Amino acid sequence: MNIDGTFTFPGPRHLVWDLLQDPQVLARALPGTERLTSDGPDKFTGVMKVSVGPVTAASFDVSVTLADKRQPEHFVMRIQGRGRVGHVRGDATVDLAEEGADATLMRYSSQIQVGGTIAAVGQRLLDSVAHSMLKQAFDALEREVHSKVSTGRSTP
Amino acid sequence: VKPAPFEYYSPESLEEALALLEQHGPAAKPLAGGQSLIPAMNFRLAQPAVLVDLNRIPGLAYISPMEEGLRIGGMTRLRALERSAEVRRFAPLVFDAMPFVAHLAIRTRGTVGGSLAHADPAAELPAVTLALNASFVLVSRAGTRSVNASDFFVGLFTTALEPGELLVGIDVPARSERSAFGFEEVSRRHGDFALAGVAASVTGDSRGICTAARVALFGLADRPVLAPTLSAGLLGARATPEIIRDAAEAASRADIDPTSDIHASSDYRRHLAAVLMRRAVARACSNLEAA
Repeated sequence: MNIDGTFTFPGPRHLVWDLLQDPQVLARALPGTERLTSDGPDKFTGVMKVSVGPVTAASFDVSVTLADKRQPEHFVMRIQGRGRVGHVRGDATVDLAEEGADATLMRYSSQIQVGGTIAAVGQRLLDSVAHSMLKQAFDALEREVHSKVSTGRSTP
Repeated sequence: VKPAPFEYYSPESLEEALALLEQHGPAAKPLAGGQSLIPAMNFRLAQPAVLVDLNRIPGLAYISPMEEGLRIGGMTRLRALERSAEVRRFAPLVFDAMPFVAHLAIRTRGTVGGSLAHADPAAELPAVTLALNASFVLVSRAGTRSVNASDFFVGLFTTALEPGELLVGIDVPARSERSAFGFEEVSRRHGDFALAGVAASVTGDSRGICTAARVALFGLADRPVLAPTLSAGLLGARATPEIIRDAAEAASRADIDPTSDIHASSDYRRHLAAVLMRRAVARACSNLEAA
């Protein structure tokens, strides 16, 4: 499954860069994340629970490694997830471009492989599920950027 | 493929069922026909701690023609809809869609309320209720409310149903004499979930001018959606093949943004949507002329 797209964050690029590398922020933003902790430099591990309609019990042990970093514009997320109902593995490439001083355009492209029961049973829904989870994550990240930008302004 | 352990209750009244659902909260799932929930449990994708079986509750399965329309009970089997003379007469779009819903064995056990509450984005019945502007009767311990189909389906397998609430009935408004319907879908094999599908309701005046068109699409978004561009293109016009084709083409560009999967690419789905909208509306219009 390929997932590509763009998203514009209402904040400067260095701020978006920092947020995207912060496991606490990612844990809040990614839907169903029960735990995500830093596990060495540029490596996070944790647990995600996917819940979509009748699927309420798909828990995954996930690990994310950041690679190919060119601060503040480019990095690759190597994602692995393993659970009783299936496994997920893939790379997501993220590019950040400045759109003026107060906005950042993120381009992302990823190739994700999904296997196991969840792929066998839910193949036709994987794309929709991935998109809906990404949308929730971006909306949450946007809120994080907003709150960072406004607290930044209020402190002298 | 055996489910994880769960508690099972088989209440014999609606009050008892609602009390059980309230008592166990999100851990409990109501069991209707079990044609989606039970396979998900057997794959252990779903592991509800409590099942509240609705099958022994009397009075939830009925098809009642009333002056204001057709009222259908939530526990009515899909097979009963398929065989009902009242459905065929008062809600022919439901009748037209039924042969496409899964397979005979599944329709024999599966229920109207179960299919709608499950809200699969490629299922037929949710789109049909949307095209017919139906409303759903939701009951909980807190009371009863009615939700229109356009507000009921909120996302992928997600509905307006709150925890502790049951979908007990569907109200299909009475059809106008000058309305007619068309249903089309494409699936890889008969009985599969559709790659794309269209349920159309068209109303015309005595001169053959379209006065209302309500067209629902399924398999093309995360929920059944209306095609407002198609309706706008038909409204006030005599529906010639050219007008229908142009409106369907425009709607396939403006009203949907389908996803890709291994069965069909986004572009192919968009193409299917245009073709199926054209066919469904043309069918409805020719039914209208025949009426």
